[in-house]
Amino acid sequence: MKISSRAVEFSIGIFATLMIATGILLYVFQEPGRIAAAQEAQMRTDLDEAMTLYAENCAVCHGIQGEGIGATPALNSEALAQSDYTSLEKIIARGLYGTAMPAWSKEDGGPLSDYQISQMVTLIQYGDWQQVQDRIVNLGLAPRIPFAAEIDPQTLEDVAALPGGDILSQGLQLYAAECVACHGADGSGTALAPAINDPVLREKSADELERILRNGVAGTLMASWDNVLTDDEIIALIELVQRWDEVPAGAIPAPEQPVPVTAESLALGSELYTANCSRCHGPEGQGTPRAPALNVKSFLSETVDAAIQQIVALGVPGSAMPAWGDRLSEAEIMALVGFIRSWEPNAPEVATPARGGGPWWQSSSSAGGQSSAAQGAGRGGGQGGPPWLRSGSNNQAPSLPGGGIPSSGASGQGNNAPGSAAGQTAAQGQAAHQAGGQAAQTASGHQAGAGGGPPWAVAEQPLPWYQQLDWRQAALVGSTAGLSLALMAVGLVGLRRLPQ
Amino acid sequence: MSEQDQIVDTPAQTFLGRIWQALGPTGLPSDDRGRMRMVVDNLVLHLHPTKVPTRTLSWTYTWGLGGLTSLLAVILVLTGIFLQMNYTPSPSQAYLDILSLRTNTWFGDLLRNLHHWSANLLVVTAFLHLLRVFFTGGHRAPRATNWIVGVLMLLLVLAANFTGYLLPWDQLAYWAITVGTSIINYVPIVGGFLNRLLLGGPEVGAPTLLNFYSLHISFIPVTMVMLMSLHFWRVRKDGGLTVPRRAKESEPPKIERVTTIPHLVRRELVFAVAWIAILLAWSMLVPAPLEGIANPDLSPNPAKAPWYFLGLQELLLHFHPLVAAVIIPGLALGALLLLPFYDIQISSVGVYFRSLRGRFLSLLALGTALLITPAWVLLDEYLLDWSAWLASWPSLISNGLVPLAVVVLGLVALDELVKRGLRATQEERILFIFVFLVTALVVLTAIGIFFRGPGMSLYWPWDIPTTHLSL
Repeated sequence: MKISSRAVEFSIGIFATLMIATGILLYVFQEPGRIAAAQEAQMRTDLDEAMTLYAENCAVCHGIQGEGIGATPALNSEALAQSDYTSLEKIIARGLYGTAMPAWSKEDGGPLSDYQISQMVTLIQYGDWQQVQDRIVNLGLAPRIPFAAEIDPQTLEDVAALPGGDILSQGLQLYAAECVACHGADGSGTALAPAINDPVLREKSADELERILRNGVAGTLMASWDNVLTDDEIIALIELVQRWDEVPAGAIPAPEQPVPVTAESLALGSELYTANCSRCHGPEGQGTPRAPALNVKSFLSETVDAAIQQIVALGVPGSAMPAWGDRLSEAEIMALVGFIRSWEPNAPEVATPARGGGPWWQSSSSAGGQSSAAQGAGRGGGQGGPPWLRSGSNNQAPSLPGGGIPSSGASGQGNNAPGSAAGQTAAQGQAAHQAGGQAAQTASGHQAGAGGGPPWAVAEQPLPWYQQLDWRQAALVGSTAGLSLALMAVGLVGLRRLPQ
Repeated sequence: MSEQDQIVDTPAQTFLGRIWQALGPTGLPSDDRGRMRMVVDNLVLHLHPTKVPTRTLSWTYTWGLGGLTSLLAVILVLTGIFLQMNYTPSPSQAYLDILSLRTNTWFGDLLRNLHHWSANLLVVTAFLHLLRVFFTGGHRAPRATNWIVGVLMLLLVLAANFTGYLLPWDQLAYWAITVGTSIINYVPIVGGFLNRLLLGGPEVGAPTLLNFYSLHISFIPVTMVMLMSLHFWRVRKDGGLTVPRRAKESEPPKIERVTTIPHLVRRELVFAVAWIAILLAWSMLVPAPLEGIANPDLSPNPAKAPWYFLGLQELLLHFHPLVAAVIIPGLALGALLLLPFYDIQISSVGVYFRSLRGRFLSLLALGTALLITPAWVLLDEYLLDWSAWLASWPSLISNGLVPLAVVVLGLVALDELVKRGLRATQEERILFIFVFLVTALVVLTAIGIFFRGPGMSLYWPWDIPTTHLSL
């Protein structure tokens, strides 16, 4: 056998050596750039993950822009961003003695790993707080309840008038200032903390409650309040917990601040609206005979975001409005509310529901009668008024509240409140909306129920299997089968030709 | 004595000359005798004989697979030492150290990529080397011992790769090792104990990381170096490589030899340099994967073992765990280790696939397995439901031994078909079954890698969604 490949082998060897040499040389020159890029990419990843962690763990006390709420310090300060890594890391990991800041490190019973704490420090040092707010909103984690609530003076007086009411009223004020953020406006608890209006808790002795308040509860967000509250204040809070039943429902009002929005959440809201709401409420929220208009000043200005959120989540009993809480996530509902709210600046004073030719989703002739009714309602000729207000109200005075919607923040009654955190205003919104739903049903008559079912109930028709097959599947199956058959054929033919 | 000896014996006249004489080569000898002498005198070159059969130098006989595997081992040791300098085997630090290799260390990324890709390529080349040796009959007498050493080294390669897989402590590592080690639980009686011993606790955690790290940097490499020395030594003792023969040559050819220097050494150098260039270029361009930090509360769905165990994981979807994780791999490993003792015909050693007939038979086996394996996977996934049909039997029998018996009977039937229909000899039948099973393993692994999605359901590769399970 001739060994003739010497020249070829030498060329390959020299070429490969040159490649290694130039490769390493080029790599050396780009290495500082690569390291810088890797650092930047790592920073982006850390900030991205830290923003989610902040939304889940910190925003409720430090605010959605890190602005600080109440006594909680702001995090979006230049001074804090300039402070050194170790001190920030220690505060987050171990908590801050004498404040409500608990220890977050897993080693100290908290939820965060060392790595996550280092990411949080990166956020404080380099974060963009506007992005943090956007993230919180997109995650649907913007707190619905203000950190500290304002209580109506009349309510406080009413509470103080109760037997032993002074101390109760003091406790209620303290609760509104310090505790609502985690334990909820109505004391029914939130994702962060357990319910206060709980008989089991009430059974506990004053000593034990005092111990919890003074020492905190290890492994939870319940901090030690010993240095924040005076002895009297702690006694008042214990009193409040034990006599929670005596406090009138809805004493602490629901939040009035708008749902925060981002471009992303608006797009999501718009998409969700088109998919789920537009069939009944009209493509632009102008209403149809099936459901009241949303895109009118009178509805939008009288119904706070929390109330809309409540209506969407829980539905309106006795009307066609279902509860969407099971189908949509918290974030999606908030995106919807934000989207609906975005109509307000350009909303007409009076609703002009329905297009010319009847409900847009029905093209059959049976829609004819409905169509004329809708037109009548829409032009304000006969029925008049926005459909969620009781019919008969004058369409020339659209701001006149049909159901008598009181100004927000009013205290008292609330006997029709659904007993949830959204509280009073939500109940009013719901009541008004319920009326609207009835009005709409009246207007459209029995046909409203025969509208083809709710949009989420439309079944998808599966395609026959040969239409589902795409070329990649065909190519893969075909080539595998073809190759194996060809191999088998070559093998068999070859074996036949060869003698044993 | 020759001129060579006189040169060595005469002391150099200058200071630098004497240093050069002691440390450097005394010039490339110009005659064959001197070249052979140089091989004998040099520690590294002494692994080679002084002369090698001309035919074994053929690229297309060995494909350089053994040499490439050794080269990768050397690269892995060298890059591994530098990685070790930048690594702390603790859950709180490990991942940060890997990140820091990227963001704070000159050449840190390159070293990690080189180590990662070399390690994965090593699994492939070691496996291909085994195939090459089998197809040329290199396992037969007198090389049986070295075959066994080689199979053990393949297992060590897998162990090295598996223990290294955990070290980055990212999601990929954590869950692949969780899934991979859970297979040990299916070993009867001692499985649970073995699993806890390896993990150092009930689940993958800090002790596991330390265990794996220690195995990865000490026990496995040391054992590997010892077995490698044994392997090389036995190659020499067993008379060097098998000498290639053409299929039509009826009797062994007369062996021509050429000196190792320059013929073999030159090729080895060129081959090594070329592969280093390829590996460097690849590692400079393609980063090794790294996911987020390990999170025991969030499992990727599907959670897959490292890719080379996905054939095994695929079997677990079709058989009772005892059959899939213990009986089948045990039988396969036993058959592989004992291969030199039942596949013994030495007349065809050196002929690729035994004979021309053997080549066509191998093609037939390849095609058959390529068709039957996916068909069986689909059948078992959608139609066969042993545990429902044999509901009254224990699942070890209904879903384990019964389907195993069906598969074994199928193989026996195939063997009978080849024996009767094609009048195959014993070595041809072994070749047929071997090719069939190796193809089946490769196909199962490919299905595990590319066609299994969330819940380990079958998906088209381009349709697999990325999902996670919150635990």
